[in-house]
Amino acid sequence: MTEPVWGPVHRDIVDLLADHPADVPAVVDHLTKLQDLLVRLPPLEASNPLADFNRLYLVITESVLDGLYDGRFADPVFLSRLDVEFAARYFDALRMWTESSPGTPKAWTCLFERMRGPDARPLPSAAAGVNAHINFDLPFALVTTFDHLESEPVDSSEQHADYLEINAIFADKIPSLRRGYLERWQLIIDTLNGDIDDWYQGELVEYTRDVAWRNAQKIWRCRHDPEARESERARLDRTAAALGRLLLSPLGALLQ
Amino acid sequence: MASDVDTAPLVGRADQLAMLRAALLDDVAQGHTAAVFVTGESGVGKTRLLRETAARLRARGAVVLTGACLDIGDASPLHPLLQALRRLDGDTAASRARTTSAVRGLLQMFAEEKAGPDGAGALLERVSRGLHLIAEGRPLVLVLDDLQWVDRTTRQLLLYLLAGLGDLQLSVLAAVRAESLQGAHPLRRVLTELRRLRSVRVLDLAPLDRAGTEQLAAAVVGRPLGPEAADLVWQRSGGNPFVVEELARDLRDGRDGLSDTLREIFLDRVDALPQHAHQVVHAVAAGVEPVEHWLLAKVVRLPEEELIEAVRAAVAHRLLVSADDGYRLRHRLVAEVLAHELLPAERSVLHRRYAEALTAAPAELHQARLAHHWRLAGEPARALPAAVAAAQEAQRLHGYAEAHRHWSVAVQLADGAAGPGAVDVDRGALLGHAAEAAHHCGEHARALALLEELATGAGGLLSCSLRIRRARYLASAGRSAPAEEEYRLVLEDPACTPGERATAAAYLAELLVQMGRYADAGQRAREALQLCSAVEGSVSEVVRASAALGFSEAYLEDPDAGLAVMREALTVAERSGRPDDIACAYLHLAELLTGPLNVIEEGVVVARRGAERVADLGLGRTYETRLLAIATNGLFRVGQWAEAEKVVAAALRHRPSGADAVELLLARCRLSVGYGEEEAADRDLDAVATVLAGGGARHVLPMLTLRAGLAMWQGRHDVARQAVQRGLTESRSDDVAILAALVWHGLRAEAEALASRTVEVDRTAVRRLREAMERVATRSASAARQVRSVVDGFLALCAAELSRIDGRSDPQLWARSALEWDRGNHPYPAAYSRVRQAEALLARRSRTVTAAKLLRQAYEVTQGLGAVPMTDEIRALAGRARIDLQDRTTEPAGRPGTVAEPTSDELAMLTAREREVLAAVAEGLTNKEIGQRLFISERTIGVHVSHIFDKLQVRTRVQASAIFLRQSS
Repeated sequence: MTEPVWGPVHRDIVDLLADHPADVPAVVDHLTKLQDLLVRLPPLEASNPLADFNRLYLVITESVLDGLYDGRFADPVFLSRLDVEFAARYFDALRMWTESSPGTPKAWTCLFERMRGPDARPLPSAAAGVNAHINFDLPFALVTTFDHLESEPVDSSEQHADYLEINAIFADKIPSLRRGYLERWQLIIDTLNGDIDDWYQGELVEYTRDVAWRNAQKIWRCRHDPEARESERARLDRTAAALGRLLLSPLGALLQ
Repeated sequence: MASDVDTAPLVGRADQLAMLRAALLDDVAQGHTAAVFVTGESGVGKTRLLRETAARLRARGAVVLTGACLDIGDASPLHPLLQALRRLDGDTAASRARTTSAVRGLLQMFAEEKAGPDGAGALLERVSRGLHLIAEGRPLVLVLDDLQWVDRTTRQLLLYLLAGLGDLQLSVLAAVRAESLQGAHPLRRVLTELRRLRSVRVLDLAPLDRAGTEQLAAAVVGRPLGPEAADLVWQRSGGNPFVVEELARDLRDGRDGLSDTLREIFLDRVDALPQHAHQVVHAVAAGVEPVEHWLLAKVVRLPEEELIEAVRAAVAHRLLVSADDGYRLRHRLVAEVLAHELLPAERSVLHRRYAEALTAAPAELHQARLAHHWRLAGEPARALPAAVAAAQEAQRLHGYAEAHRHWSVAVQLADGAAGPGAVDVDRGALLGHAAEAAHHCGEHARALALLEELATGAGGLLSCSLRIRRARYLASAGRSAPAEEEYRLVLEDPACTPGERATAAAYLAELLVQMGRYADAGQRAREALQLCSAVEGSVSEVVRASAALGFSEAYLEDPDAGLAVMREALTVAERSGRPDDIACAYLHLAELLTGPLNVIEEGVVVARRGAERVADLGLGRTYETRLLAIATNGLFRVGQWAEAEKVVAAALRHRPSGADAVELLLARCRLSVGYGEEEAADRDLDAVATVLAGGGARHVLPMLTLRAGLAMWQGRHDVARQAVQRGLTESRSDDVAILAALVWHGLRAEAEALASRTVEVDRTAVRRLREAMERVATRSASAARQVRSVVDGFLALCAAELSRIDGRSDPQLWARSALEWDRGNHPYPAAYSRVRQAEALLARRSRTVTAAKLLRQAYEVTQGLGAVPMTDEIRALAGRARIDLQDRTTEPAGRPGTVAEPTSDELAMLTAREREVLAAVAEGLTNKEIGQRLFISERTIGVHVSHIFDKLQVRTRVQASAIFLRQSS
């Protein structure tokens, strides 16, 4: 029998993932416990690329939670549900990886594969996770949340404003993601998405932030059509996976 | 040969089978519901597990209904249930006549259903009644396969039944493909919410382990596999039983070189098929499963014998399965393999044949299937009427989500059918229908887009009535400013009739009230009333405008004027005699009285009178339920709990659904928490969570507040804290009173944690609660008066709890809180405040006389309410402080057991309710039986009986009955 996916912490991670956090405080709790386990995963331990992402994600989610407690958002119901749905997709990906399921999104697989090495620089690792999470998971989390709240992804709505606020938290919490670097990263994202037209319209910064939102609107329109929805999912997975591999390649190290 | 299909044993699922049997049947308490959702990847054996479980449950006496959801994307509402009923009809024909007639009765009901207001809710009620008749007291199990394709109506029905609203003992077993749950599937959220409930399980069906894989392979092959083959099967299948079985079969039959993928396995098999069987498989793949034999015959066009031979070959090659109701592909993977095998022209020929055959013979899902096949046959003009009919059919069953999809398809078809030989179709009408259906199922942006398209078609101009609709959609989508603008334009447009302008003005006034712009609302409402006076039959507008005016006046602190307007509106409505108008007028009047005017007793009287009136008018389910909910909440507030309990029970007898049901369940739960009836409260909370899993967020905070309240009585202060924390992160700024209640619960939980020394106080939580308190205070400054008074009460409680958390509970602060609640006539929180005040005084060992007085006062209130946990707490506190809670002046002075000469005054001392109870006691009924008769809990009866004993100065039921019988003879 081969060694379990999560090595010595396999049992702990399986037990942890059996739980499905349903509110934001529970998500923070979950990510905290996960972090404690990930840094114990040999051989890389604390420099494990997934731990790099998880650490960043934990910090961001804590900021979101604080924002919720502080009344920072216009529609906390929307944002809490979105946050839970968003996190659930990450946990799902981990669960599928644990079961060696062929269904594990490719977007995530490229990062998970690097857990045992070779080591990657922390920033590209975290960025690869952020990439999978935003470019692949987020549009679907948005659609599920809107569907559940019997609302819709409408531009310039309260929910849209809250959504953009989260992006501000992301930017805020990636200190080393300095402006110049940010643009270079975006250039890659834009190129990979292949929507050069939008890029030429000079909406560079807004564009990246809005990719997931616009993809959500796209999925929203075809959400009752299983076939169209599935092909959209496959497309996003491919795009995010390509970008993820790039980030984890030697090219990605240039970003550090 | 066909027997080859299911001979493989079920391997490695014994634990799951046992669990399913327990969860769905053995462990389900009388009258409860349960559900298991089985998730897993394709081929992992979900369908097989469902079938085996169904057979076992049936063998144990359960009535099992089995259906499957369809993936044609535009199915019709409740299809899986209808399918299940038809199957049961087929099965039971021989066995039980009564079941058969009940099944047919329910099917008949569906056939006769007509679209109408609140039809959706009424349909749910009738379905549950029908299922009741079918069950005849036996456990009922609903088994649904492929739930990932479930239609919205069925999804709502499931949640309704699982919440216990249908008053039906039911278990649900459903299978969901794990692959489908990825992405943005609506069921994801539902499962996240449901899996937390005690009555629901999610079973993630994993692939087999190595031993299971080998066992299954050996069973198929007929002997144990050699190590090399075993390894190969394990590596290639990953333990997926479907793949294991197919690989093992290839091994057994000596097919060379194991195929690498399932795809190859099936491709090889398809290639090996005889010509006719090939045709059959492709025909079934193009059809909507199950494909009936007669239909297949028409599509394949083979002579009878040849067809049967071809089917047998397809079954033998394990590509097709045959059941009583028709043929299916053996697995979805087969469909995927076949999808690439046909030329588009070949496929459209098959669809055309299906369409032609179905046109001649109406069958299940007739219109939806016709539309589907004609569309794929490339015949939009012929698909269009079917799509329209399917939309109307969906609307008849109140499935607006499904109807919206059919209307949208119809619009597309109309575009495709344009050009030479075009059908005569009113595209504008289609768009209008599509928009209204979208609006009904909550897709307001889509509804607006459709209207936009309609306007473009009409040269950018919409009729006045369509513009009013656009404004309504905008308001529903939460876009108040453009909605207001649209109404204003209609009002200013001379082309609009006075009737249309009256409608616009009334809606606008209503919108402005919701926006809190009371002065503007009042002005528009007056304008509307004036316009109405010139328009015959504008009663609905009068009611709507009057309500807006009434509320705006009440908020602007001229309550009498507003009340007068609303009463007048009721008179107008009564004169017109239209049931809906009368019901609306009662509803608004009751809301006005119990809301901004804060004259609760009168509001309760109006609500109850209204409830009776609208019940006579045949609007029991909708308006009576809502009016009774208002009455219940009012009665709870003023401390008439026994009465509130009776009213809520009466309202729930209508088996309401959706938000109405949630409102009532929360009201009943509030009573149960007050009474300390944990089991009942827990059940209602789970029911609320079940309904809310289907969508909506408005009631989440009250639910969490009650969860916290219940947890505190149970001494689980950390659970209470968690509920409050979740609430804090999901609160909206506009529900300030609800938020205030939540914050108080949070602080109280911390204070109780400190007092009980069971759980550490969470300082961070306290800090956050304190901040939330400040936000509540700031926001309430701009809130309406009656909201402010309630918020002030909660803030007073919060301030006092904070002193308790700091270890120096301040009697002054508690006294202030008691005063606030007394002022608003809320005896329960006032009593709580007094208890804490007394406790604080006693802790300081000062003014024990005052403390005793406060405790007695609170004791009297809580006993009268039947608030058991609080009464117990008072007793414990009094015991510790050696305070006698009995007020000596009313104590029976040493005449225990002696029945004094009763005077006729004695029965007069009893309340009407107590006399009712006494009458039942005299009949010899037990408390439980009396409770059932009067729709109140057994425990409340106990309270009444003890009051009766006190007042009549007796000690036994016999003595009480004796007095009653003597007096009433």
